[in-house]
Amino acid sequence: MELQKFYYDNKIVKMFAYATLFWGIVGMLVGVLIAFQLIFPELNFGLAFTTFGRVRPVHTNAIIFAFVGNGIFTGYYYSLQRLLKTGMASKWMSTFHFWGWQFIIVLAAVTLLAGYTTGKEYAELEWPIDILIAVVWVVFGWNMMWTILKRRTKHIYVAIWFYIATFVTVAVLHIGNSIEIPWSWLKSYPVYAGVQDALVQWWYGHNAVAFFLTTPYLGLMYYFMPKAANRPVYSYKLSIVHFWALIFLYIWAGPHHLLYQAVPNWAQSLGTVFSIMLIAPSWGGMINGLLTLRGAWDRVREDPVLKFFVVAVTAYGMSTFEGPMLSLKSINAISHFTNWTVGHVHIGAMGWNGFLTFGMIYWLFPKMFKTKLYSVKLANLHFWLGTLAILFYSIPLYWAGWTEASMFKQFNDAGTLMYPNFLQVVEQIMPMYYMRAFGGTLYFLGAFLLVYNIYKTVKAGSFAAYEEAEAPALEKEGGRKPGEGYHRFLERKPVQFMILSIVAILIGGLVEVIPTYLIKSNIPTIASVKPYTPLELHGRDIYIAEGCYNCHSQMIRPFRSETERYGEYSKAGEYVYDHPFQWGSKRTGPDLWRNGVKTGRNYKPDSWHYNHFMDPQKMNATSIMPAYPWLADYEINLDLTAAKIRAMQTLGVPYPEGYDKVANDDVKAQAEKIAAGLKAQGIDVGSNKQVIALIAYIQRIGTDIVENK
Amino acid sequence: MSTEDKNLHHGEPEIDELTKDKYLGGHEYDGIRELDNKLPRWWLYLFYITIIFSAVYLVGYHVLPGENKWSSQEQEYEKEVAAAAALKPADPHGAIDLASLTPLTDAESLAAGEEIYNKICVTCHGKFAEGLVGPNMTDEYWIHGDTTLGVIRVMDLYNVMITGVLEKGMISYKDQLTPEQFQQVIAFIFSLQGTNPPKPKAPEGHKFDGIG
Repeated sequence: MELQKFYYDNKIVKMFAYATLFWGIVGMLVGVLIAFQLIFPELNFGLAFTTFGRVRPVHTNAIIFAFVGNGIFTGYYYSLQRLLKTGMASKWMSTFHFWGWQFIIVLAAVTLLAGYTTGKEYAELEWPIDILIAVVWVVFGWNMMWTILKRRTKHIYVAIWFYIATFVTVAVLHIGNSIEIPWSWLKSYPVYAGVQDALVQWWYGHNAVAFFLTTPYLGLMYYFMPKAANRPVYSYKLSIVHFWALIFLYIWAGPHHLLYQAVPNWAQSLGTVFSIMLIAPSWGGMINGLLTLRGAWDRVREDPVLKFFVVAVTAYGMSTFEGPMLSLKSINAISHFTNWTVGHVHIGAMGWNGFLTFGMIYWLFPKMFKTKLYSVKLANLHFWLGTLAILFYSIPLYWAGWTEASMFKQFNDAGTLMYPNFLQVVEQIMPMYYMRAFGGTLYFLGAFLLVYNIYKTVKAGSFAAYEEAEAPALEKEGGRKPGEGYHRFLERKPVQFMILSIVAILIGGLVEVIPTYLIKSNIPTIASVKPYTPLELHGRDIYIAEGCYNCHSQMIRPFRSETERYGEYSKAGEYVYDHPFQWGSKRTGPDLWRNGVKTGRNYKPDSWHYNHFMDPQKMNATSIMPAYPWLADYEINLDLTAAKIRAMQTLGVPYPEGYDKVANDDVKAQAEKIAAGLKAQGIDVGSNKQVIALIAYIQRIGTDIVENK
Repeated sequence: MSTEDKNLHHGEPEIDELTKDKYLGGHEYDGIRELDNKLPRWWLYLFYITIIFSAVYLVGYHVLPGENKWSSQEQEYEKEVAAAAALKPADPHGAIDLASLTPLTDAESLAAGEEIYNKICVTCHGKFAEGLVGPNMTDEYWIHGDTTLGVIRVMDLYNVMITGVLEKGMISYKDQLTPEQFQQVIAFIFSLQGTNPPKPKAPEGHKFDGIG
């Protein structure tokens, strides 16, 4: 058969690899900053765009979509071409994908710091960026599928199965979760509210972990692990079973983020059981990775690449066992809203994603630059720094999580809370915050060693943008041949493979998402729950813009320890006008849902809130909340009131017709009342300031069912 | 699944020297080969066990009829609260004869009171009780007291802590603190009279001649 000549595009790989390193450093540095902000509130600098609530989403987005995202594309462009024996189908699509993605990252950082956010975790980017992401993602996928169709190999390898599943599922998730009604050039409200929004968001959020942090990295593992070890993959059969089981089961597990919360019990149960059933499929990947090293274990001792891979896959195995355990209600009752969850995700992010990326980079650069790694010693040092960093990071947070849960839940003999003041718990876990920040710093330093090592390697090597290769053309083959296994047949039909993947992930998605539309009628409506006043709506948007949900929940679970601390537990019907829901996922500070209930145990007057926003440490010396002085300077943008009201009306919030035209009268009346009350307490602040709206909102949430009884 | 490949190779499959496992013929991608190993037994059984667990779980929570069904989260909560209510004494404050209370003065009570003050009261009344959102409690001026008596009594503060002053932001602490703790913290507050803290809030209420 005649051999055809073609070229592997190494330039695109190199570009993505540099982007991975660059954004990795940025993302980790931001992580270190926010870790220290939790210890020293002064590090928020009293500026809006440097304050924790805005910076933390920059860290999470930078690590997930910039560091890991570019890591995915690095490995993907390198392996895809070689596994298919062809260059990329379209060079301009590759280039467009690269610059489009970097542009999105820059836009993300700028808009998030400027306070433009949807308020939905890991999906914070606003609607114009959402559209851009969809376009760039489709170009990426189109180029990939086109390349697969142009291949010179008969079958597609397991790594590519994972790439295909990643492409289709991320597209479905991103679009499904981003359906929103824009009301300005940079702001929108999601079409879903309350319980629906929570279910859709965590269907997305959980599967962002599954299909952005897991499946593409399993694909990378299946390529780089056997390549670096020069060993065969342990079991093809295991690849098939764990691949399909994983993508089919993963999509159902989202509601495990909402256990004991105001979502239907059936949805919670699905979240639990599908998480438990995920243990084996996840471990299938770990086993296939680790057992691929059989016969090469002696080299693991010397080769830093393999060391990184072994720890990465082990971390994957640990997280994917811990995750299902955290999905059991009895354990979730302890772990949820605490630092345990933060520890858990960092085993995954630092161990699995980080270490796999580092190993891949150490392997790729000497290959592409036709030289040796500058220093194996430095790489080994990086490995040990990183491993220690993961331990220093996660163990204190597990400890903190346990401490939080046991202190929050403890009652004394008189039947009252042993630690009624939230700050008692915060003070107790401060040492753990210190150790975590130390661990994070170590990890960052390790990444710096990587950058230096790669810089020196690049300097010493020579790079060819296009690598020549040759292979015979692919012969056309028709239907399934006698004796050919069904799956083997499917492996040479990539389009059918893609369609089957979509079917596999849509089943779980639809079963969980469709009832959320039907649930709307099933959520017991509560007559006393009324839409927010326009001033409160402004306040709500400020709450979202400042990222309050990063530290405060608005969801009281049905536990005696929570109803004692925060008041009556949350009901689904209370959130029907919450576009988006703001239940939160972590309590760095206390729950706020019933703070405004005057007969409740956490009620504070407007003047307290004002003082607290201006200087939290004046009210509570050991508080770690940042100050928000700009809220007393910035004005409420009355020009936007009408558009907000109209967007809410479109979404079915029952404001009277024509209310958008007169809503500002109500804004002013309510704001002046609050300002006058503050004035009586000796606080002089204009009624047009943002802090007034935020106070109005804080005093309103969770009060309808209690005060209108 | 791999029959076609075996059929392609007439004769014995190739063996990996290091592990003695069989290679799959025809499975080679950029130099990566695959072995023909079966699913590990323990792995498969683990998978089956999780599936059985899930079936039992769903049946227990959602299929069992009536009373036999496992508790929903709402039912769990009812039970938890009922169990606590059975243990909790009836409102302990009701049994106290407020008029008979006199300020505690022993060091132990004052220390306990200080601890409670720093946990709860400090956020509104200030570190030194100098007043912040709430009033200054180190001066001779009190908002809630019987001016006809001329002295401020334990029961005056006790009542404020029982009922709260909602319009000013003072909540009721009757469910958070015991009668003993009430008296301890009141004793501590009285002990601060005349301490002249920094940045005191201006006097509010009426002047009283002393503690009675």
